[in-house]
Amino acid sequence: MILRLAIASLFARALTVGMTILAIALSVALFLAVEKVRTGAKESFADTISGTDLIVGARSGSVQLLLYSVFRIGNATNNVSWESYQDIATRPDVEWIVPISLGDSHRQFRVMGTTRAFFDHYKYRQGRSLETADGVIMEDLFDTVIGADVAATLGYSVGDPIVVAHGLASFSEHKNQPFRISGILAKTGTPVDRTVIVSMEAIEAIHVDWRSGAQIPGQITPVDVIRQMELTPKAITAALVGVESPLQTFALQRAINEYRQEPLLAVLPGVALQELWGIVGVAETALLAVSAMVVVTALIGMMATIFSSLNERRREMAIFRAMGARPTTILGLLVLEAMLMAALGALLGLALLYAGLSVAQPMIDSAFGLWLPVTAPSLQELWVILAVVGAGAIVSMVPAVRAYRMSLADGMMVKT
Amino acid sequence: MKRTVLLLLAVNAAPALAEDTRQLDAHEHGVGALNIAIDGTTVAMEFHAPGADIVGFEYAAESEADRAAVDAAVATLARPLDLFVLPAAAACSVTQASAELESEQAHDDHDHDAHKDHDDHAEHSGHEDHAEHSDHTEHAEEAGHSEFHAEYTLTCADPTALTEISFAYFDTFENARELEVQVIAGSGAQAFEVERDAPTLGLRSLF
Repeated sequence: MILRLAIASLFARALTVGMTILAIALSVALFLAVEKVRTGAKESFADTISGTDLIVGARSGSVQLLLYSVFRIGNATNNVSWESYQDIATRPDVEWIVPISLGDSHRQFRVMGTTRAFFDHYKYRQGRSLETADGVIMEDLFDTVIGADVAATLGYSVGDPIVVAHGLASFSEHKNQPFRISGILAKTGTPVDRTVIVSMEAIEAIHVDWRSGAQIPGQITPVDVIRQMELTPKAITAALVGVESPLQTFALQRAINEYRQEPLLAVLPGVALQELWGIVGVAETALLAVSAMVVVTALIGMMATIFSSLNERRREMAIFRAMGARPTTILGLLVLEAMLMAALGALLGLALLYAGLSVAQPMIDSAFGLWLPVTAPSLQELWVILAVVGAGAIVSMVPAVRAYRMSLADGMMVKT
Repeated sequence: MKRTVLLLLAVNAAPALAEDTRQLDAHEHGVGALNIAIDGTTVAMEFHAPGADIVGFEYAAESEADRAAVDAAVATLARPLDLFVLPAAAACSVTQASAELESEQAHDDHDHDAHKDHDDHAEHSGHEDHAEHSDHTEHAEEAGHSEFHAEYTLTCADPTALTEISFAYFDTFENARELEVQVIAGSGAQAFEVERDAPTLGLRSLF
């Protein structure tokens, strides 16, 4: 009875009620979207590298090693000597090892020297492998494979020649040994998109005429001669390691961390990513707080509409009372109306979120490399809806109590 | 973290190895480490904790009481399931367990037998020449931070039932405040911090 009355009363004021519901819907959709993006970003971040058991580099901090080896942010404190790399590679508990050599650049993008094994072992987003969108993985010494962002930003296509610059922000280029783009990788949403990948030997090859960081004047070794040379690297920047069995991971990590000949550091990528997220993650809490405040604002807006509706409904309330409705009925009616609005708003918000998500998901993935899975509402989202309905009931108590106290006297008095 | 002191220990280079590298090891009182790797039904665990957490002192055990305390601690650490309680449903049993006390110096010298001559003074147990020992007592008290190490291999009939670990460890060793736990399971590696106030660790997120 009272429910029918509440619904009928809401319909009678369809426009204002509709606007209130829309405001709540938008705020709830925003809140849930922020939550989705937050968890999606966290997962995408944690999925930047998977399938690698240890990252090995010069001894520094785990976050720093992760930053330069995986995210290509910052620089290595030291290189790892080729001898130490070989020592680790030949250990029985190492299943595979992929060297990484950084330090050169092409325009604003980093150049990474590695081996073909990188394409077999680098995994992202729970075990997905790198794939070429166009062309093939490098075959020749002076072949390069570029990430999707590199190709898109610089407008490169397969077969284009590129020249690698020495160092990161320098004007000296390795002009005499131009590379040819043999392949462009599909978008991954990982730092690989912003990387120019060449072979380990190519990194040595372009530095043949360089000594102590400068080009030897007048000396230009012809490319044909370079091809005949033995191009074993003297040092690498870092290495990705896979172990035979997860049980050996900690033992291998300790062996590398206590390696006497050279100060090395081995980190578990998952743990280092978690540590890094702990630093970045403060922003996510702030974001969540802001969207929670938007929900609060919408609910206070609803309270304001109820207050102003009380004025219009003075007569209505008084008639109810005169017909024998108890003050608690009036109170219940108003609270019920508010809860209905809040529930409708929250459900509409959820619908908006899923509609928006299914439309925008592919676009967000290709533009930001952020994968937001469309899954059934989680328990947490249901709790959010319940909380909104509960909060709606609580804020409506304020005008409802006022109506409870004043309904009879106020409505009966002739004021106009 | 707040009340603990981070101590960095310089390992004094032995004279005969003057050209050798010198390495520093972090040593934080109150904080131990537990590494867990799960592969199929096998669970491998590694445990490290400062001597201060386990027996309350880090100098070379001299008195009978000290030696008894160390022996008791090593014996306790060799029974992992009493310290790190796993769900009964997982039906875990210990297949191998070893625990030992290592001083900083000895700890660095796992496979360097040549060092033994120089570093024996820092070993806490199994020492024969007490005269030489006392010569170095002062030094040992200055820098002789020690750590308990333990390694365990368990077999669990149902590893998917490993949903949580409760750390009776904190009840057994009253000086321990925190354990840094790293777990490697099928889905990758994760780190956790377990503190005395909340001595359980949920592992559901790993499966």
